[in-house]
Amino acid sequence: MITVHRLPEDAFTALANGEGDPVVVRHLREAQHSKHLMLLHAVAETVDSTDLASLEVAAFWAGYRLLARIQAFSPGAAAWLLGLPHFGSWAHDCLIRLDRGLPPDFGYLACAAAAAAVRRGVRFELDAPVRDGGVMLPGLGFLRVTGQDAWVRLRSDGERLAVGEHIDVPCTALVPDEGSGGPVPQWRGTPLVRAVADGHTWVVLLETADRHLDRYALPMLAAMTADEVASWRHRIQSAWQVLVRHHGWAAGPLADGVCVIVPLTSRSGLDSATSPAAFGAIATSWPPSPVILAETLVHEFQHLKLCCLTDMLPLIELCDEKTYAPWREDPRPAGGLLQGVYAHLGIARFWDAQRHAETRPDGILRAQVMYERWRATIEMAASALLRTGSLTPAGVRFVTMLRQYGQRLGSESVPAAARQIVREAALDHWLTWQFRHTALDAAGVAGLVDAYQRGASPGDRTLLETWIEADTRTINSTARSRLLNMRYLEPQRHRHLCAEGMPGLSKADSLLVSGKREHGGAGIPRRNHRLRAAA
Amino acid sequence: MTPPKQELESVVPDLREVPLDRLAELGDSVLAHAIAMYRQRLKDIGVPLSAFNSSI
Repeated sequence: MITVHRLPEDAFTALANGEGDPVVVRHLREAQHSKHLMLLHAVAETVDSTDLASLEVAAFWAGYRLLARIQAFSPGAAAWLLGLPHFGSWAHDCLIRLDRGLPPDFGYLACAAAAAAVRRGVRFELDAPVRDGGVMLPGLGFLRVTGQDAWVRLRSDGERLAVGEHIDVPCTALVPDEGSGGPVPQWRGTPLVRAVADGHTWVVLLETADRHLDRYALPMLAAMTADEVASWRHRIQSAWQVLVRHHGWAAGPLADGVCVIVPLTSRSGLDSATSPAAFGAIATSWPPSPVILAETLVHEFQHLKLCCLTDMLPLIELCDEKTYAPWREDPRPAGGLLQGVYAHLGIARFWDAQRHAETRPDGILRAQVMYERWRATIEMAASALLRTGSLTPAGVRFVTMLRQYGQRLGSESVPAAARQIVREAALDHWLTWQFRHTALDAAGVAGLVDAYQRGASPGDRTLLETWIEADTRTINSTARSRLLNMRYLEPQRHRHLCAEGMPGLSKADSLLVSGKREHGGAGIPRRNHRLRAAA
Repeated sequence: MTPPKQELESVVPDLREVPLDRLAELGDSVLAHAIAMYRQRLKDIGVPLSAFNSSI
């Protein structure tokens, strides 16, 4: 008879407040451990144990038996593997591929079990798949293999690992690369960062080789150069200092819950992501500064905590309705809105502390605006979520507590100038979104226009039926929105563009963005006033 | 006397102490139910990503 994981009420409350001390994070990690075992069992149920002619199937069962042996011999070594986001991602991918009728990567389990065995010094022998010219040992690194064979035999006496006929290395050398050890032939250890600040340590891997963690909207950065690895190490170390010194509420839980960073290829701006399949991994493109990386880590860890909580306690039911989210350009379903508001609770808390840590005027303004901007969205988004009717009873309790926490974050200490920037940026976003996504009953509009032109009263037809569409109108407001946000995100550049007269903007937008909004009406053509009145 | 600590019952079976080679013996249990629920969730929501573009 097995039972289920239980979450203490005070842990649930801490999570709703955006917090989670090491004890809370331990509850989440333990649940993920069981979830990964559950997924492994679900995969195993689909693998025909008699089909040993298939190398993939044989490797799966060899890996399964080895992992069972490691678990019996050293539960901690098995728990290390089962806690890796690599493992969760692989199991998740297997189920998805099975559901879609695609062949799963069964052979990966042999590599994963071999990694745990090498790490713990357990004797084993099995065949492992060769991918991209080598054998992946998840959480440790990558062994380059010569030759063209798709499979290679791994043999270990617990002290040395033989790979095929030509490679023989001590198991103790097959470790992640901390940047301090000498090169090991054929071995590329996964870069490991040991960030230390004021006595607090965070150990995190930089994963760029495991295909099961290449699962985000942008591709994983492949084959980092030594200089790139050094840059990432330095940036993570600096971000960790920011977190430890100014955001203690977030630093400890993050160090307990995040063990992998997946660097992403860069587009124009910063992109970051998490996946419910990969608890413990945060993906991000190159962050422009330590403070922005610190904010990104806080933001993405919020997503991870919520993903894990929703694995344990369903908070939301399926709902087709989509609604406005102040941080997105597209209409969001309730599940996306819940993820977003929870992330922004963490972001608001981050900037609340950061506005007192910044020392330069531009940095202080950015922190004040970021705090006020995202603080104010919590109430709006939480209220919208509660109105959707798609929350479970636990979801209603969670969002209600989250909302109450947001209400306790005050705006009294935010200077008026920063609040004004927030009002304008938020209004610009909301109006742009409404124009882009709110569809109106065309016949109703025609009736109103007709009544207006005839000078007749609109009667009870002033409230037209509206609904949300993906893209009901094309709105080109990118330049204005970008410049409104540039005032606090890149103030120096904004000042430079102001001095140049805001090239490319209409007169009205230029006056608004320059902070001369009281003159902005003069730049709007009269016909637009009429249109606005009609709307 | 300290009141008992309130706890919320999750849907995730606690498998931490279950040996891998015993999982198959659990049969039609809370484990099978949890797997069915999880797979249904995957079908309902796909594999969601939480992506955020800082360019707002």
